[in-house]
Order: sequence, then structure tokens, then C-alpha cells
Amino acid sequence: MDTAELEAKVIAFIASKVENADASKITTASQFEELGLDSLDTVQLLFDAEETFGVRFDGDEVKNLRSVGDIVDYISQHPPASSS
Amino acid sequence: MLVAGLTAHSAFSIFIALSRMLLTISCLKSSVQTYMRVVVTGMGIISPIGTGIEQFWNAAINGTSGISNIQCFDASGQRSRIAGQITGFDPTAFLSAKQVEQTDRFTQLALRAANLALEDAGGLEGYEPRRLAVSLGSGMGGFSTFESSAARKFQNKSAPPFTVPRIMANSAAAWIAIKHGLKGANLTCSTACSSAGNAIGMGLDLLRTGKADAVVAGGAEACVLPLTMAGFEALLALSTGFNNDPMSASRPFAKGRDGFVMGEGAGILILEKEEEAQRRGAKIYARLAGYGCTCDATHIVAPDMDGQVAAMQAAIEDAGMTPDRVDYINAHATSTPLGDIVETKAIKQLFGEHAPEIAISATKSLIGHTIGASAAIGSIATVMALHTGTIHPTINLMEADPECDLNYTPNQAVQKKIQTGVCNAFGFGGNNASLIFTTL
Repeated sequence: MDTAELEAKVIAFIASKVENADASKITTASQFEELGLDSLDTVQLLFDAEETFGVRFDGDEVKNLRSVGDIVDYISQHPPASSS
Repeated sequence: MLVAGLTAHSAFSIFIALSRMLLTISCLKSSVQTYMRVVVTGMGIISPIGTGIEQFWNAAINGTSGISNIQCFDASGQRSRIAGQITGFDPTAFLSAKQVEQTDRFTQLALRAANLALEDAGGLEGYEPRRLAVSLGSGMGGFSTFESSAARKFQNKSAPPFTVPRIMANSAAAWIAIKHGLKGANLTCSTACSSAGNAIGMGLDLLRTGKADAVVAGGAEACVLPLTMAGFEALLALSTGFNNDPMSASRPFAKGRDGFVMGEGAGILILEKEEEAQRRGAKIYARLAGYGCTCDATHIVAPDMDGQVAAMQAAIEDAGMTPDRVDYINAHATSTPLGDIVETKAIKQLFGEHAPEIAISATKSLIGHTIGASAAIGSIATVMALHTGTIHPTINLMEADPECDLNYTPNQAVQKKIQTGVCNAFGFGGNNASLIFTTL
């Protein structure tokens, strides 16, 4: 999967998880806080992302994931076993 | 001598003063009991035989069984493969996707029943939010979440973030408060199968002691689950001989009964002081007149007749009555070989010659054993018997166990004007709770 394709998938995923989200306004620069997600919403989002993208977020690294782009970068750097 | 005499005199004076004090306290106590009348002004239920009071009660008086083969998980590896399940339940009808994600099924059932009860009561908007309490019972709490999160952990997968707030036993009470803005006492009682009996009793106490003006009281449970049921199977508590005939499996007091059938559901009662309920023009179903609770202190799972007698007796005394006033008992009656005999003996012990005149029925014959919700559902059945003059039957009672020889209202509903009903709930841990409901 190339980066553009991954970005599109992550944005679509996040749009599906954020209440009343406008997918067209979500970019890789969007911070979770700007999307109305608090810290608990964010851990729930990352939990759901693990299921969807087949990755496992490391407990300590989770705290540094604050934007859509952070998730894209993390998945690019930690590809699931099946696609690597 | 003089010193000794003075001492004796002082001791006598202290004795007299103490006696007067005790007498005053006991008079105060009895005046509180007789003066503070607490009534039921709303009820809500979600059960294997219906949602809402009307649907539940119609099914109950028609003797409908809600027991079927387990559909919510692959039960082929279980010894007991049947349960009283709620089918077609859709929490998204009243919760957002996020709230569904943050709540266990037992909380969702509790919320549905609370919505119905509050709607039935006509709303409690006239009360100060800090004076509105919740008192809920659950034996296991969010065990559906416990089982699924534990399975993930053992497969080395991440634990869902809301694992703890979904599992904790008080999550149902907390969510009811959140959804309805109830800012007073928020209590959860977990005494296994007597949880809701104790929770409703605690609700009565909150009103009597002036700690609340209205209480949302009841219980919720959702334990049709592989591990929880395997645990009850291991104790030989569940029915295993009726997997091919589910509707005949829950058969309290009947010959050939072989254990209880797991059930799920929630029941909520709105409790208010009678004068306040009358002031706001509320519909009044019945009076909650007494509550007794005891512990056997003998065995962690086996029932004990003395503890059951003592709980019923305490409830009757609390209501300022004598046993001969009781004309209906909603029995705990789980359909276990031992439990139904012990309860029968307890009733005979307490009520003596009056025992055969009492109409008894077992709600669990219809829906199975809803554990921490069972006494809330039993209380609703008791209130409806008082309110409608119809007693729902104990189904599957073609031939009674010779050791169960009272009037259990077998198979057909009975019309009988009753005035005083007892709801019994006995749980693991030796807990016994009895509630007295009366007509006004």
C-alpha cells in the first residue's frame, strides 16, 4: 500500500469514528483534539485502529500520537506482519 | 458498704436512663416506620418474555416460557445450552455509538428498564436532582466485557480502553444517573442472586432516613456467557437435562427439576414517599412496606432455612405486620433440587398453618434465573399481582416434588384479591432478602 492510499484509508477510518465528522475537512495535519476527541476518545480510536489496520500500538508511543498523520506514519513504520 | 451502695444506686440510675433512651429510640423507630409510607409509582422491565410492564405481564399471566437454545454464542461446548435471552435488543435505539462502546450489556438493559420506569412514573422533574437516588443490584456486573477482554488479553491482544468502566458493578447505576441527571446517592449492591432485593430495600431505607426524595431502584444482569455459565455448571447449579426441551427446563418445585436456567434482564421500580407522590398526582401501584435481610453465615453457596425464615420475619416486622396478613409470596424458587425444598420448609416454618393458604408463584419458571435482577423482576410481578388481582402461574408444574407441598399456582393464572405480597431473594454468600409490598 503506498502512502497516499494509506492516508486515504486512515482518513476514511477516522471520519467513520468521529461523531458528526466531515471527511472532506480531515487531513493528515488534523489533530485529534481539533476533531473533538479527548484523551479517552483517542485511546478508543487507537484501539479500533489496531483492529482495522492490524497493527499494535506500543503503550509508551501511544502518548505521542496526536494527529491523523501520526497514525499514518506509525502504520508505515510498523507494517502488519501479513503485508511486510 | 457506703461506696458499694452508692455504686449500686448509680448503676440502677444508669440502667433506668438507658432503658428510657432505648424506649425513646424504639418509639422513634416505629413512628418512622409507620409514618413514612413509601410507594411504587413507576416500573420498567426488559425480560425474556417481554419489554415494558404490559408485554411482560400479559406473557406472565399466560404462562409463556422465555427459555430457548442459546443463540448469542456457540454453546455446543457447554453442558447447559439453554437460557432466558432477550432477543432483538438494539441499544443504538437509545444510546449513541460511543455510549454503546462504553457500556456493557447489563448496563444497556438497566438503562432501557430505567427509561421505561421513569416514563411510567411520569418523570421526577419536580424533585431537586440532589434528592434523586439510584439503588441498583447486580450479581456479576459487566461480565460480558470481562469475558471478552480477558479472552483478548490471553491472546496477547490489546485490552479495550473501556474495559474497567464497563465491567465495574456500579456502571449501570452510574449510567442511569448520567442519562437522567440523578445527582443524589448512587449505590450498587452486589449480593449475588439477592442483589436487587437488597438494592430495593436500600432504596426504602434511603427514603425512610431522609437521604432521598425518590429512588430509582432495581437490578440488572446479563450473564448468558460461556465462562460464567461454565462456572455455574461446575457447581452443578445449572439445568443440563433439558437441552432438547428448553421450555420445560425451568421447573421450580416440580419433580425431576435439575438446576436453574440462566436468564438475563433488568427491572426498575420508582420509589417515592406516598405524600409526595400524591401531591404530584402520580399513579400509585402499591406500597413498599417492609424489608428484611439476613446472612446464613453457614456456607458460601448452600441455602439455610433459618436465615430465610429470619429474613421474611424481619421484613414482616419491619412492615409492622404479623405473618397471617401475607397472602402471596413471589418465591425465590430457582428450580434447583435443594433450594426449592429449603424455601418451602422456610415458608412452612414461619407461616405454620397459614402456609397452605398463601398463593405462591415462581417467576423463574417463565424467564429463568436473572441473578442480580431476579428480585427486581419478582418485585414487579408481586406489585402487578397486588395491582391487578391476578397471580401469574408457576409453569412446568405438572407433578410437584413430594417435599414441595404448598400452593404454587401451578400452570394456570389465578384471580385472587390479595393485599400483602412477599418477594423473596436468596443468594450465594448466604444472603437472604425479603420485601413486603401491600395495597394502599
